[in-house]
Amino acid sequence: MTLLEVKDLHVSFPTADGVVRAVRGVSFDVEPGRTLGIVGESGSGKTVLTQTLLGLTQGAEVEGSAVFEGSDLLALTEDQMRHVRGAQISVIFQDPLTSLHPLYRIGWQIAEMIRAHDQSVSKKEAHTRAIELLRMVGIPRPETRVDDYPHQFSGGMRQRAMIAMALALEPRLIIADEPTTALDATVQAQILDLLLRLQQDLGTALIMITHDLGVVADIADDVMVMYAGRAAEKAPKREIFYAPHHPYTKGLLESIPSSSAAGARLRPIPGSPPSLINLPSGCKFHPRCGYVFDQCLTEEPVLHPVAESGGHTSACWLPSEAAGLTARAEELREQAVRGQRGQEAARVAAAASAELGVAAGDEGSAA
Amino acid sequence: MAGSTDDNVLVRVENLVKYFPVKAGGFIRHTVGQVHAVDDVSLVVERGKTLGLVGETGSGKSTLARCVAGLIPPTSGKVIFDGKDITKLSRGAMRPLRREVQMIFQDPYSSLNPRRRVGAIIGDPFTIHKTATGAERKRKVQELMERVGLNPEHYNRFPAEFSGGQRQRIGVARALALRPKLIICDEPVSALDVSIQAQVLNLLADLQQEYGLSYLFIAHDLEVVRHVSDKVAVMYLGRIGEAAPADALYERPRHPYTVALLSAAPAADPDAAAARQRVILVGDVPSPIDPPAGCRFHPRCPKAEDICGRVEPPLVPDDEAGQPANDGQSAADASQPGAAVPGGSLHVTACHFPVVPGERLVSAGGAGAMKGEPS
Repeated sequence: MTLLEVKDLHVSFPTADGVVRAVRGVSFDVEPGRTLGIVGESGSGKTVLTQTLLGLTQGAEVEGSAVFEGSDLLALTEDQMRHVRGAQISVIFQDPLTSLHPLYRIGWQIAEMIRAHDQSVSKKEAHTRAIELLRMVGIPRPETRVDDYPHQFSGGMRQRAMIAMALALEPRLIIADEPTTALDATVQAQILDLLLRLQQDLGTALIMITHDLGVVADIADDVMVMYAGRAAEKAPKREIFYAPHHPYTKGLLESIPSSSAAGARLRPIPGSPPSLINLPSGCKFHPRCGYVFDQCLTEEPVLHPVAESGGHTSACWLPSEAAGLTARAEELREQAVRGQRGQEAARVAAAASAELGVAAGDEGSAA
Repeated sequence: MAGSTDDNVLVRVENLVKYFPVKAGGFIRHTVGQVHAVDDVSLVVERGKTLGLVGETGSGKSTLARCVAGLIPPTSGKVIFDGKDITKLSRGAMRPLRREVQMIFQDPYSSLNPRRRVGAIIGDPFTIHKTATGAERKRKVQELMERVGLNPEHYNRFPAEFSGGQRQRIGVARALALRPKLIICDEPVSALDVSIQAQVLNLLADLQQEYGLSYLFIAHDLEVVRHVSDKVAVMYLGRIGEAAPADALYERPRHPYTVALLSAAPAADPDAAAARQRVILVGDVPSPIDPPAGCRFHPRCPKAEDICGRVEPPLVPDDEAGQPANDGQSAADASQPGAAVPGGSLHVTACHFPVVPGERLVSAGGAGAMKGEPS
């Protein structure tokens, strides 16, 4: 049974400069015990998306539904949401130093979280539970470290403490928003390893929001690539990496300096992401896309299946056979683009000859 | 030292040490300890080449860069730039040298003054060094803007009107203004999105080719460093643990820390990620105020033995077979100045028990407690 079912979610913020359309119709499911990786650049709407689910986007206009275990999260009152947040869905943020209160001891903060949701737990029990949790996330000597303040912890340990706090009430779903971005590579490896292990042990579902395709390659089961507030492509992990369909996904993968291309020139995506106030027409990626043709300028594509399994969907007008990085796929893409450009060229030629008048027409008939 | 090989060397750092005092006490502050930020580091940056410097937070890489740029005086040791020792220079004598060394910083938001127009920011170096004024200055600034891929018509805009990638281009243009010989890039692309990061990396590569620039390139992203660097040095707690030409370091890492670091870097390839033998290091980087005796990595090293806690391993070159060179050979190498210094042409490692190709490190550390036992 699906744990979380988000349908056609729209989030926009009215500002003095205009309406910022941060999320524009996103749908996805999260299954129990699985990990959904949400990838996107700054401003793609990935953080707004998940914060909206938890009622953390104040002043936003929200449409759509997000059904979690039978109830619509978007319809909950602030009071009802308080019982869901932390207890059934918990969040791990990017910066553990600003997420922890600097003046309270780590153990106190974990215990408070437990007691806020369950008054029957005594202070002493909650303290013991905090020690157990710190031990579970690999803090050495938890009996003494539980009384430390956040500044006495290193960055990696603080993030572990945040994970301990997120796990305290055994939630069904954890939303991790760039949890390792502020950490060094070796510490990041420790934290990802910990998250994977805990997920296996506890069967928690995980939404991992990140800009780092490496993290997704490591930890996700399914991947959703976001661009300008929409899902550009959604597929099981291996298909995203080995048979991407959307030119944006392909561009992201090619932008990464990898060992195979060491020293060679990188192939970046030209330009930069659009303003969410003033979005381009048609497909929002078309100004940066190398495969752009007529249809892209006028109609915005929606997610549709591009593989036989149906689990791989892409919002792009290119033919579905064009999935993958094979020569054949490239050929199909070229054909699609040339076909459309050909039509365009023919139309321009016709218009031009009409204006030039008889001479061109005569030549045409003579030939 | 001024041999023929030195002509290829732009920067030579010799036994550089930088300690920061730790002060305590109320009214009368006194020094209670030293942060050993950089501790006896030697390296060379070759002309027209890129030396990559990798290391985690607190490894001393940024402090080292600031010493090389002459922004902070070292505690001891020398920085020889283009044949001249710059560590003992007065402020006045330092000034002409500042033209030759420029920096690009990590954060394109805080490294540009938000109240000044872009033209003024990029034109500052010309004003400060009195090399161009008035219309000529404007022309030069617009040329620079064009060269780094900015629209010269945006001369009068403020930094806030540019995106992160464009701001980093402004930083590059400013660094380029006086045609320096060396640009120190301190995490130049860490704050940028992947697609923008690739644009800036390509720009840096083009500029290097065009102007024959040398880069000292600092980053924590190992793939980025491999992509841009000719030589790479790995720092840990103020020391260089291993250095080599880029391919050698990534394909045949010898120091257990390098192996762990490489295995920890996330690869955007699910099958490779699943197949990889990850070396998860235990614990955190120790305090640089009181670094461990002997090899600084030994408390976390899966291969540590007794000797590692007592004797500090020197940086020695490895021969072709992957074994540390014997004395005769290292003496021969020492005769070519620069070769055995990090940034030179040899693969040097500071480890008593370097990793041999094909060896599997156990995913554990802690003073060798778990050594040999699969965890």
